[in-house]
Amino acid sequence: MTAINTEFGKELSKFGAFDFNACYNCGTCTAVCSLSTEEDSFPREMIRFSVLGLEDEIKCSLKPWLCYYCGECTTHCPQTAEPGELMMSLRRWLTSVYDWTGLSGLLYRSLPATITAMTLTALAVIAYAFYSNLELEKIMHTGHIFEMVAIASVFAVILLPNLIRMWYFIILKPGIRVPFKNYATGLLDLIVHMFTQKRTLGCDDSQVRWFEHLILVFGYLGLLFTTIFLDWFSSESTFIIVLGYVVSIIIFTVTVIFASERISKKRESTRKSQPSDWMFVAWLFMMGLSAFAVRLFIDLGILQSNIWLYLAHMIILVQWALVIVPFGKWTHFLYRSFAMYFDAIRKD
Amino acid sequence: MNKKLGVYICHCGGNISDYVDVEKVREAVRDEEGVCLAKTTMFACSDASQKEMIEDIRQNNLDGMVVASCSPKLHLVTFRAVSERAELNKYNYVHANIREQVSWAHSDDKAGATEKAIGIVKSAIAKVRLAEALNPIKIHSEKAVAVIGGGVAGLRAAIELSNMGSPVTLIEREHFVGGRVSQWDVMFTTNQTGKELVTRLYNDLISRDNVTLLTGAEVISNTGSIGDFTLKVKITPRYIRARCDEGYLQKAIDVCPVVVPDEFNFNITNRKAIYHNFPSEYPQYPVIDIKNCTRCGECEKVCGIIDFSQKEEIVEIRVGSVLMATGFDPYTPYPGEFGYHQFEEVITLPQFKRLTELNYKKLIYKGKEIKNIAYIYCVGSRQIEGEVHTVASADDLSKDTGSNQIEGENRYCSRYCCTSVIHTSIDAKRKFGNISNFHFTRGIRTYGKQELLYAESLRLGDIYLQSYENDPPLVYRENGRTHVKINDILTGRREISVTADLVVLVTGMVPRADNSVATLFKLPKGRDNFFNEIHMKLRPVETVIDGITICGACQGPKNITESMNSALSAATKTFSYVSKGEIELEPIIAEVDKELCKWCGECQKACPFDAVKMETSEGKEIAVINNSVCKGCGMCLPVCPVNAIDLIAFSDNEIESMINALVS
Repeated sequence: MTAINTEFGKELSKFGAFDFNACYNCGTCTAVCSLSTEEDSFPREMIRFSVLGLEDEIKCSLKPWLCYYCGECTTHCPQTAEPGELMMSLRRWLTSVYDWTGLSGLLYRSLPATITAMTLTALAVIAYAFYSNLELEKIMHTGHIFEMVAIASVFAVILLPNLIRMWYFIILKPGIRVPFKNYATGLLDLIVHMFTQKRTLGCDDSQVRWFEHLILVFGYLGLLFTTIFLDWFSSESTFIIVLGYVVSIIIFTVTVIFASERISKKRESTRKSQPSDWMFVAWLFMMGLSAFAVRLFIDLGILQSNIWLYLAHMIILVQWALVIVPFGKWTHFLYRSFAMYFDAIRKD
Repeated sequence: MNKKLGVYICHCGGNISDYVDVEKVREAVRDEEGVCLAKTTMFACSDASQKEMIEDIRQNNLDGMVVASCSPKLHLVTFRAVSERAELNKYNYVHANIREQVSWAHSDDKAGATEKAIGIVKSAIAKVRLAEALNPIKIHSEKAVAVIGGGVAGLRAAIELSNMGSPVTLIEREHFVGGRVSQWDVMFTTNQTGKELVTRLYNDLISRDNVTLLTGAEVISNTGSIGDFTLKVKITPRYIRARCDEGYLQKAIDVCPVVVPDEFNFNITNRKAIYHNFPSEYPQYPVIDIKNCTRCGECEKVCGIIDFSQKEEIVEIRVGSVLMATGFDPYTPYPGEFGYHQFEEVITLPQFKRLTELNYKKLIYKGKEIKNIAYIYCVGSRQIEGEVHTVASADDLSKDTGSNQIEGENRYCSRYCCTSVIHTSIDAKRKFGNISNFHFTRGIRTYGKQELLYAESLRLGDIYLQSYENDPPLVYRENGRTHVKINDILTGRREISVTADLVVLVTGMVPRADNSVATLFKLPKGRDNFFNEIHMKLRPVETVIDGITICGACQGPKNITESMNSALSAATKTFSYVSKGEIELEPIIAEVDKELCKWCGECQKACPFDAVKMETSEGKEIAVINNSVCKGCGMCLPVCPVNAIDLIAFSDNEIESMINALVS
């Protein structure tokens, strides 16, 4: 038996713009959703759970991750309750639930906290630069080392434990018995969903959205690979240099499209942007642009006289790696694909 | 005298003529005795045919007419009207049904159908030969009317009747008018209080010269019939002289030692044996509740206007019509129903409405402040079939769970409760703040404009849960608190619970427990035990008892708007009975042959309308038919051992001649 907890709505409101007092349970949202199925029906059920404050039910549910936000539900909601936005809020809330540090929740809930985190990381980089007497080579070397260390440690300390927590909520706590072999057979699903987001294709809207996102994912992974493993900034290989230029151009052009969609608010999914959404797009854009500029300045031989550019790039990089990746919107990359993985292994 | 008759045989497009050879029928009856005109027609009911009939009747000086066509249910009145327009008495028209009884019934046997049609038309001709011109029975009607019940419906009807010029006697059983509405505070949609509505109606009513208001008055007998009812009314005194002085009176109330539960507040408070309901009640004289008064005399010592010498009175009034507006009772849950009378936090909607009105700033019940309120809908309404629960044993009442058996006889929806409880819950939230409302519903029925309330309630964050009729919520005690749990169908039937400081049972409307007045008038009741109208759609305020109309919630659950609609409608109908000073009734009634009748009483026993009385005429006991009550049903005819009763227009002669025509 579950007790009603109306306080939950107030908590969840900090994660998004759902209207808790509008829904009259008609179920139109579920009826129009092209991804909702008989076994996994949403969003109405999730709205109901949220309105009644059934936290435990939501915690062990994958449904928020099964939604890819085409916004049809919001378009058709007769009460303008913004069901799509509720699913979005739940994803943000779940991210904060999975995060053992609690920092995700803090950053989602509080803009001042986010600004503080961003400022502190920027100051740390500047402090380090002065500590290194503004020697570009040393700073660039540290930057490269930092990238590798940050990726490894963020994954080991934050993301892996959070994924285990997610597994605990989804599989262990509800007492679902999953045969060991499923964990192996499901890996294919994990990889496919992680790199293709193919479930988006089931959404009713135009597939341009999926394609843009796919390009961005490959651009981002490409830039990560080029800068870290191919050491783009130090590379002499024309192929690597051109590859770096291409992927960074992809990133800042696609993010401009993304941002313009958020500004024009043409799609339901981009009408109600939270600071975390803006930050994610903005930092991706700045990362692509600054990386592009740094390499350009290197090729023009003027980076040495414009060391501020590399510092700016490094600040953006550190903020990205230490704030947005572990505690911000970046995590949806992992949780979405692991959600599909857990869904696949528990169903088999 | 040989009557000149006209016969018309209708094709009904092809409905008749496809199976019945109408031409053959015409030929077969053309030469019947008296028939001077026999025609076939494509549509007898068409304007052109009707005009032709009128001309035929006038030119040929016809004395009788037969139209062989559809069922008399459809067009008897049409062709009676045709004969009247041609100055032929309408009872000289006889209808022959050759569609429902012939062409439609025998579409497989055309020859047989034609033969049967010939027989039916011939028998109609036989009947019309003997038919007599008849005139409606006219009876005198009193212009005065009585309205029984002084709630808002009765008040509104009385005002309207007075407007139209009828002297009105308004009879109210309680000592104050306004009925249930005076018990409610602010109401949707006008946001006026019940007291405001009653005040407006009362002030309008009381200024009228042609209205007599009787309070504390009860009808104890009724004789007579439409146009002339004689009612005996018993009036209980207030034991207080008019023109009372408020100050002294309050002293009298203060010193009264008798304390009884206050029914006006549905027993959540107490009152004295000398009391008034609220400061501006109407009429504005308090009452001594003589049943509970101990006659200790304390009040008399402090207040001079108390008068125990007042006596019960019986007055007799004569009226032409009676309008019933006796209202409803709120459903009282059986002990144990959802914890009623079992857990002290459980009350009914009417009690809750009084509670919200009586509290200020904080909502306090039994000394505790109320924050969480659970509302359980459809208590006593929309009950399901099964064993009816009325009492719980002391054993049951000591349990930690309330009964959630909702079997009972009230299958109907009480219609007002969803709106009322949502309005009251919003009101409580606004008035006291910091209140959380949890609605345990079986589906919300805030129809029409009332839907706005539901939307508002959602906006205010009220939580709605819903269950099926076979799985009602459960009220139970745990850890010293009262909780309500439900398998919420909006949450995939998950078991959801709420801890409630107050559980409000949303009780519906039931017929008045004491409906003895209905027995006096022999008013029929429907399956739901409310009074029944003749036709739900077409005759919504008339009853089968001529001269008696019904309106308001005595007819079935209604909100105030609907009660006003029916009150105005019933007032108009009632006025139409009495407005001309005489009433026209159908002359087709039973008739007693004074010579033959030897009064055995059999006909009186057989009469369903109480129309037969024994009278002494020329030293002989005979049966006499009350013209204004007889409906011409014919029940008395076959039971008469000496065949002294005939039914006008359906006399033995007529029927026998019809049979002869059929068999010849």
